[in-house]
Amino acid sequence: MSAPSSGRESVLNRIRKATSTVALDGPRLAERYSSIPRNYVRAGKLSNATKIALLIERLRDYDADVAESAPGAIADTIREKLTGSGRQTFAAPGGLPRIWMAPSFNWVIDNGLSHEEIEKVDGVVTAATCAIADSGTIVLHHSANEGRRVLTLLPDWHLCVLRASQVVETLPEYFARVTQPPALVTWISGPSATADIEMTRIKGVHGPRHLCVILVGD
Amino acid sequence: MSQATERPVLDPTIALPFHQAALPVLRDAQLRKNVAHAIDVIQTKRGRLVAEKTDWQELRSAAAEIRAHVLENLGTYLEQFEARCTAAGGHVHWASDAAEAREIIRGILRSEKASEVIKIKTMTSAEIQLNPYLEADGVNVFETDLAEIILQLGNQEPSHIVVPALHINRSQVREIFAKSMGRPELSDDPQTLTDAARRYLRRKFLDIPAAISGANFLIAETGGVAIVESEGNGRMCLTLPKTLIALAGIEKVLPRFTDLEVMLQVLARSATGERMNPYTSLWNGVTPGDGPQNFHVVLLDNGRSSILGKAKERQTLRCIRCAACMNACPVYRQTGGHAYGSVYPGPIGAILTPQLMQLQHAQSLPYASSLCGACYEVCPVKINIPEILIDLRAQVVDQERHKGSGIFSPLNVGLRIAGVLFSSAGLFHAAQRIGRIGARLFTRKDGWIHSLPSVGGKWTQTRDLRGFPKQTFREWFENRPAKIGTEGK
Repeated sequence: MSAPSSGRESVLNRIRKATSTVALDGPRLAERYSSIPRNYVRAGKLSNATKIALLIERLRDYDADVAESAPGAIADTIREKLTGSGRQTFAAPGGLPRIWMAPSFNWVIDNGLSHEEIEKVDGVVTAATCAIADSGTIVLHHSANEGRRVLTLLPDWHLCVLRASQVVETLPEYFARVTQPPALVTWISGPSATADIEMTRIKGVHGPRHLCVILVGD
Repeated sequence: MSQATERPVLDPTIALPFHQAALPVLRDAQLRKNVAHAIDVIQTKRGRLVAEKTDWQELRSAAAEIRAHVLENLGTYLEQFEARCTAAGGHVHWASDAAEAREIIRGILRSEKASEVIKIKTMTSAEIQLNPYLEADGVNVFETDLAEIILQLGNQEPSHIVVPALHINRSQVREIFAKSMGRPELSDDPQTLTDAARRYLRRKFLDIPAAISGANFLIAETGGVAIVESEGNGRMCLTLPKTLIALAGIEKVLPRFTDLEVMLQVLARSATGERMNPYTSLWNGVTPGDGPQNFHVVLLDNGRSSILGKAKERQTLRCIRCAACMNACPVYRQTGGHAYGSVYPGPIGAILTPQLMQLQHAQSLPYASSLCGACYEVCPVKINIPEILIDLRAQVVDQERHKGSGIFSPLNVGLRIAGVLFSSAGLFHAAQRIGRIGARLFTRKDGWIHSLPSVGGKWTQTRDLRGFPKQTFREWFENRPAKIGTEGK
């Protein structure tokens, strides 16, 4: 079952022979890498308000349901959305603020739930790491308040709470914010979709079919 | 032989030459309509979203340079990837060819006692013909991408690398699903058909303990693997099973995590005409408590290192499989993907397939192009496809010339005669005179040649040839009425 080392050596030998240049040491490789021209747009130009408006427009373009909330009203806004969804049982990652979990609903907190247990809930509520306005993308690093990957995958309804300070305009701005590459990332741009049949965009194939976003002003 | 209903052959070692394989498609009006419709939709969306990006050319340049830099230092980056992935709990395997890769994957599945496996769409697995191999070994393989389900249940072959079932329309999908899922009540509404696929797969995602994926990018800096998708079937396969095997061509590596800021922007726009695809997943090795705890990467060479060794052709390996070139190609639009006799169709297939086969097979593919250059213009990593096509044509001709039978081929005999005639003015003029007399036999009253015998017939099969003029330019020049201004010479 383990890889035959002969495969490794013969592949690497062929690659080295094909590239024939002397393998660069760390610093020289880094120097060559940093000389790659990157003249594309990195920093955004929009004001905060316009940036948020753009994100909302993009998310709605993907059929996501978006609501804005004042910092003091997060719990209320979440409760309204949960009620509006007509669903009763929700999963929450272990690190989700307890105050976000309105007591009138059933909450299943993920401290190692089985896939079957997660499959049974009606929806899930999480935080997020970042959002990119330009493409309407929500980024999860799967930390304690964002949950394991499966938690935002099996439930059909996902409510995600974002703070305005987490919103950037361009994708490179997100990468500039990440100082240490995380072990797990999921970039979500709208609910799951397909266009495999006659290029007709159909919302909701296997991932959550409904995405709801609450944007909290700072 | 050439019935459109027959299953197309996507194995370059036995496929018909392109111009023959294309004939049944050209006669199939429905298939051509399906392909043209899908292509038009993608092209319109792509055009709109590329136009709104003010820094598109700068993104292309950066993407091309990043990929070129990786290929120059491929060995170093692959070893870096291997070390980091292993440190993060993954197992890295190296496969010289398709047979080794299949063997490694079968070995992993056997040791896991997996008799069923779910798959994310991966063209690389189609390249190594993995599914039939595993099926023969008693493993049930379930494709999970909607298009791949359509193909698998309908016993069909992919015709595009991003939208593999674009040649099949909704009523054909309905037929396939109704029959294979035992649901005759299904309508041909795409929403209904998509729901049917969701239901068909839900239990399989939860129950099947092993998954096979491809890889869009390998990150050398972190040992991470990235998968770009739309439906969420990818996330299911990457998250739910106990065992995950990612099969990746050796060229798929990127130096750093940050390079995704370029690649993700150009890939989504080029592939599906979206600002960003619905889901992109990135993971490093194994994370305790989250996702598969047994993770393998199989790095596949299978002819890639020989492409790497050729200065001009190396750029082929920059490809990020976005399919923009086939969507832009006027030839692909007419023939669809099956005529290319490979899982990699379109312009990129026309250069990739013959090179992976070291030109022993698929020799007709470099000619499956008008060299219009549309593919180069849209390529997000700036692969100069026309340049490579011309180079491959030269290589095909060279190979033919050096074969014993090649010496007597009409083309080479003709070229040798032309070589002699063109080297002397007297011979050339004599040949012109003889040619004019000979051509008179075939020239009709309208001044055109409509049909020539023998080799010449290949030309007149599809085109008319203008008859020879009564005199050549030189003859006219010598005999022109007034030789003004030449007296002094």
